[in-house]
Amino acid sequence: MRAQRSPRAQAWLLGCAGVLVALAIWTLLAQWLATGGGVINRLPPPWRVLRDLVAYASGELWRDLLFSLRVFTIGWVLGATSATLVGLTLGRVPMLGNVLIPVIEAIRPVSSIAWVPLSIVWFGFGLTSKVFLVGLAVFLVVIVYAIDGSRRIPHDLERTATMLGMSGWQRFRALVLPGTLTEVLIGSRVALMAGWGTVIVAELVAADSGLGAHLIAVQQSYNVPAVMATMLCFALTGFLMNAAFARIEQRLMPWRHDVDRP
Amino acid sequence: MKVRDRLLLPLVGVLAVLAVWQMTVILYRLPVIVLPPPLDVALALVRLLGTHAFWRDVGTSLFEFGSGYAIGVLLGIAIGVAIGESRTFRLASTPVVESLRFIVPFAWIPLTILWFGTSYTGKIALVAYAVFFVMVISTSRSIAAVDPTLSRVGISLGMGRLQLAWNVHLRAAAPTIASAARAAAAIGWIAVVAAEYIGASAGLGLMITNAASSLATPVVIAGMIVIGLVGAGVSALIGWLARLKLDYR
Repeated sequence: MRAQRSPRAQAWLLGCAGVLVALAIWTLLAQWLATGGGVINRLPPPWRVLRDLVAYASGELWRDLLFSLRVFTIGWVLGATSATLVGLTLGRVPMLGNVLIPVIEAIRPVSSIAWVPLSIVWFGFGLTSKVFLVGLAVFLVVIVYAIDGSRRIPHDLERTATMLGMSGWQRFRALVLPGTLTEVLIGSRVALMAGWGTVIVAELVAADSGLGAHLIAVQQSYNVPAVMATMLCFALTGFLMNAAFARIEQRLMPWRHDVDRP
Repeated sequence: MKVRDRLLLPLVGVLAVLAVWQMTVILYRLPVIVLPPPLDVALALVRLLGTHAFWRDVGTSLFEFGSGYAIGVLLGIAIGVAIGESRTFRLASTPVVESLRFIVPFAWIPLTILWFGTSYTGKIALVAYAVFFVMVISTSRSIAAVDPTLSRVGISLGMGRLQLAWNVHLRAAAPTIASAARAAAAIGWIAVVAAEYIGASAGLGLMITNAASSLATPVVIAGMIVIGLVGAGVSALIGWLARLKLDYR
């Protein structure tokens, strides 16, 4: 019986079964904990979370989401652009690279999350501090790819280009820039999740607007179903951004098969 | 690379950054609240190291991290092996794992506070969650990528399924799993700090948010340096342990 079914259909069936089992366990846990009253005595069943999600989606979700996405997009674009420029400079000018790359390596272990309190001291609770944090998070990821990409131009190609009589600018335009930008594109996708996670933390700490502020607001009124619904919004947005970017990446660089890189 | 390039130039870089920092403070007459000069930060760091409260904060954060990390790594490897070994289990669990993976650990922070309060338990659960998914995904992928020749050799030697998983697949995948464990340590450490910003009674994250709200900027920057150093130290330690155990590579 199993042999007749196509592998695709089997994957679908098993996947659906897995989801159903997970939902069943969740429901049972919710039932059991509601009467048992353990540590987690506030676990709502799935349909209550869904109901809250629908209620939120028909109300303020879009305003909050728009705000979070605006913070994210500005920060992401600024971070990726500055990382590309700095990475190209440090990667192609050996003297500067030797001096400054160790400095960047020293800053990198201090994750952008650790900058949250300082950023609030510097820029207050508004848009600027969040954009700074997201930009920093994206910068710290993309810079590695940018430096790597600008340095990893094959020597043969560079020698060939010189032999063909290309000027320095021509070599840069035709060789170094495309090589760097492909790596930057990959780095930018890896940075998506880092940047989105930073948006969450920044909005939780400096809770004035956006999805994170809503999450803190419903948390402070002990509304567990709404908390879980907001978490789902974060996850769905992250998932959609990742899927969309993977699509774009495949379009732009069809020769890259390893789109599954984390 | 010459000694000059490896030691001298980075030193020049660090000095240049410190000089620019100091000059910015002097030129723009920045108050200590906005940007303290490097020396103030160094003094604040030295003063911190002498206080009892600081070491309690470091201890709390490290304890929360260590417990959560151990739970997350062990569970993650176990489930990852199961997913890598069994096709049925892999197909059934993929949608669930993939959708949970997109709920980043930070989004769980408010819920863990509702469930566990500001105690250790919430942070331990959070770190375990963060580490678990990194480990599950890398373990299952690296097990699936083990050279099939090795499996065939194992089978022809008469190994059972469990033996094959334990003696062949897990060992072949060990280097990848070890480097994932190292990456997971950095993620788990940051999750602890972020959780402490929002609800905690002790820990480094609480320390720097408290310092920030009393505008003690030198202490904030000193705390950031400590967070970075501890994070780098933890991940170096795990890398070292892995190399110690995986000598046969």
